[in-house]
Amino acid sequence: MCGIVGYIGDKQAQSILLNCLRRLEYRGYDSCGIAVAVGGIKVYKDAVRVEALGKISPRFKGTTGIGHTRWATHGEPSQVNAHPHLDCTGKIAVVHNGVISNYQELKRRLASEGHNFVSETDTEVIPHLIGKYYDGSLEKAVEAALRDVEGSYAIIVLIAGEPKLVAARKDSPLIIGTGDRENFIASDVPAILDYTGRVIYLEDGDIGVVTKHDIKIRRDGIEVAREEHEILWSVEEAQKAGYEHFMLKEIHEQPRVIRNTLGEYTRETEPVVDLTVMRDAGVESMLMVACGTSYHAALIGRYIVEELLRIPARVEIASEFNYYSYTLARTVALAITQSGETADTLKAMKRLGEAGCRVIAITNVVGSTASRIANQTIYTRAGPEISVAATKSLVAQLMVLYWLAMSYSKADARQLASLLVELRQLPSKVQQVLDDEAKIMEYAKYLSGYEDVFFIGRGINFPVALEGALKLKEISYIHAEAYAAGEMKHGPFALLGSDTPVIAIVAKDNTYEAMLTNIKEIKARGSPVIALAEEGDEAIEELADWVITVPQVDAIFSPVVNTVALQLLAYYTAKERGCPIDFPRNLAKSVTVE
Amino acid sequence: MKQAVILAAGEGQRLRPFTLTKPKVMLSIADKPILQYVVESLAQNGIRHIVIVVGYRREQVFDYMGAGEQFGVEIVYITQEKQLGTAHALSQVKDVVEDEFLVLPGDNLIEADTIAQFVAMKPNAVLVKKVDDTARYGVVLTEKGVVKDIVEKPKEAKGNIVNTGIYAFSREIFDFVGAELDIPDVLNGMLAQGHAISAQETDGIWLDVVYPWDILNLNDAILHRIPASLGGTIEAGASVKGLVSVGKDTVIRSNSYIVGPVVIGEDCDIGPNVHLLPSTSIGDNVVISPFSEIKNSVIGDDVSIGPGSIMQDSVIDDGCVMKGHFTACSGEAEVKVDGEYHLVNVGAMLGVGCKLGSSVVAQAGAIIGNYSQIQALKLISGKLPDRSFVV
Repeated sequence: MCGIVGYIGDKQAQSILLNCLRRLEYRGYDSCGIAVAVGGIKVYKDAVRVEALGKISPRFKGTTGIGHTRWATHGEPSQVNAHPHLDCTGKIAVVHNGVISNYQELKRRLASEGHNFVSETDTEVIPHLIGKYYDGSLEKAVEAALRDVEGSYAIIVLIAGEPKLVAARKDSPLIIGTGDRENFIASDVPAILDYTGRVIYLEDGDIGVVTKHDIKIRRDGIEVAREEHEILWSVEEAQKAGYEHFMLKEIHEQPRVIRNTLGEYTRETEPVVDLTVMRDAGVESMLMVACGTSYHAALIGRYIVEELLRIPARVEIASEFNYYSYTLARTVALAITQSGETADTLKAMKRLGEAGCRVIAITNVVGSTASRIANQTIYTRAGPEISVAATKSLVAQLMVLYWLAMSYSKADARQLASLLVELRQLPSKVQQVLDDEAKIMEYAKYLSGYEDVFFIGRGINFPVALEGALKLKEISYIHAEAYAAGEMKHGPFALLGSDTPVIAIVAKDNTYEAMLTNIKEIKARGSPVIALAEEGDEAIEELADWVITVPQVDAIFSPVVNTVALQLLAYYTAKERGCPIDFPRNLAKSVTVE
Repeated sequence: MKQAVILAAGEGQRLRPFTLTKPKVMLSIADKPILQYVVESLAQNGIRHIVIVVGYRREQVFDYMGAGEQFGVEIVYITQEKQLGTAHALSQVKDVVEDEFLVLPGDNLIEADTIAQFVAMKPNAVLVKKVDDTARYGVVLTEKGVVKDIVEKPKEAKGNIVNTGIYAFSREIFDFVGAELDIPDVLNGMLAQGHAISAQETDGIWLDVVYPWDILNLNDAILHRIPASLGGTIEAGASVKGLVSVGKDTVIRSNSYIVGPVVIGEDCDIGPNVHLLPSTSIGDNVVISPFSEIKNSVIGDDVSIGPGSIMQDSVIDDGCVMKGHFTACSGEAEVKVDGEYHLVNVGAMLGVGCKLGSSVVAQAGAIIGNYSQIQALKLISGKLPDRSFVV
């Protein structure tokens, strides 16, 4: 999915385009670009987010322009592949959302006619086709060009010398916003709602010719009338698909993310990623480096790897790892980063590579820097994550770790067979947690009244406690700390009391008895206890003050259902406290500085 | 007419256990929720500006329909906090609709042809259809295409033309809603004041789902209209006949024998030696182990069916696991819903997340509540509540 936008009017186009593009970032944000008519056409584009582009791009003086923000699914995001794309003369610029299915054939034909291509994209054939057919009328050239094109598209075309924009759509969304002495074109309505509330919806096959003063819509060469609609709803509502915040929308996407990521990697026809390195006899241990929520995925990954691959695993925070002097050259290293741009993780990857490690990146962004540094890359299929607080990307990372460990597992056949059945059920189990969110809302109401909260866990659920505390503190601003349950008596006990609730993650594995003992110790010190436990656990019902129940799963998968429950707890607690959930203070989505 | 309002807030109590975790509009028919058929029919008729009134379990609608982009439409959601009735739902959209708009029920299967003529009707108008049994519906008495009266669920048949719940309105309708809760009452009020309402008749598909076994009827009706397609792999030695649609990355293993109409979702692992008979729908991420036979049934997502299982005229919801040799043969059964007994031919109905040990036998008409667990070798009959534990 990509987002496109166009502006024509009296105002400076650049800042309007950038503002509209920011509102389209939910459609993707691995690269972006703008083109403005300033006599000729000036283009600025790069593999950066819109905000960064706004800072680094030169100021173009012009009142007509187009823009694009991209989410690559195939081919890498790079400056040359970013839109807009130009024809040979540099006078025609095009932004495109969709897929041109016959572009290779068109490209060959155009190249043989002497056209020069600079990018690897399908889009670039469009400006060249328009250039080929241009004979003084842009709309006629666009019409002719689109007759050659197969596939899906929403395009906006800008040309030097004619004060107009031409837009066309087929199977990709496109709307025209009408203003006073100015008009807008965009992939969706919220992109332009800051400027106008009147829109025209283009139909498949329509070609719109937009000038400052008027809009003409043609179809098969004949002008047609399209009704104007008054938009009565508010910005962003549509992008969040009914939800109040992106975070909740993304939490709810997780059953689908699990299915997509598993579907991507469990298909049998051919391996998506060849990890022969994992089969090398020499692999004696595994090292994982990451930051933030991805670091928690790695900590959970340690238990998965040790349990299923039967090799020792070490996990390091990337920023700290960079101060350590020794690296293990015969190790396989996993670098986990949602954005693929986290500066500390990239630096660790470079050092590991230089030391002779085989580095495998797990990232959500195709073609990101991490994927270029790594020997091999495994992509999570979480889609663009807008909420600063990471949710679905963690679950997708865990799915990759499960897949990786199970594919090369040394566990016995009985254990693997039963794990595979459970893995298939996981989307439904997560859905069950989501379906029970009304109960979690009640606990959130209770929790929102406190200023200090402890999270405790043991074994594979200790990192889940860390993640639960991180989610709560970053969006609700409640001071939350996580401890391995056994560590509580080595200091933190001094802080327990009736105003410090403890959230205990209780799994039915070899940590169970010890956790019950810990909870009793905490109760004895007067702290209220909220337990997160499997349904049907009667012992815990008697012991804890509140119990959040999650469906029964094998202990190795318990981090998935427990994490989702804690995400909901953090979300509803923050909502209760009226916090700006999607954009918490002082935080940025991807940290590209050390 | 370019805008439509879809009413999708209702729970559908008589469809339990299937409506505990999702609203009625999200019941899956041929691997798609009913609501999607309505949205696609509108899009095919050029109506892309859609308001959906949501309420009960609205997140399920948000998660699936999103902003509508993948269906080629733009969706705005309005929440009806309490599901008091269709007219009350309608009054919630007052601030977001244009001068003229369509209203459709989200829980009826509506095909594009059914509304193709109606979208050009001037308000106020109602789409009607001839049916054999009018007991469930509002009978519309008409004269030369003009509505005279609407009689809800008549005890004695006064005609065989019923209200489909599909209307063309102008904003004027909001002046008549008042304290009325249901749209037919509002219309009768308008008639009483001398306002004209026209009626148009359709012979297109319009199917209602009221009871759990209605899911099977709708599934059968729709499956016959889905073209064959192949997105996955069919191994050598497997036979696929008739209208069979196989989703992306699904594998049909050797010696399986599939007779359409059958729809199979994505990422499924079917066979070897599995027999699928008409009219069967299978969701995404489903495993069907060898020597199983499934006939005229609807299977949800993430379901795992152990070897040697038999299912006929059955509905199995998401995430169920059967260890092996599960048997649900069809037969005549008296099923009690909402205090009334119905004589139907069905197999078994399983809610979401049920876990069955090996060799469980469900008698015809058995309804097993959500998240139930049943140990090996049990014989199940009648109705089990949610979270039952059978030892």
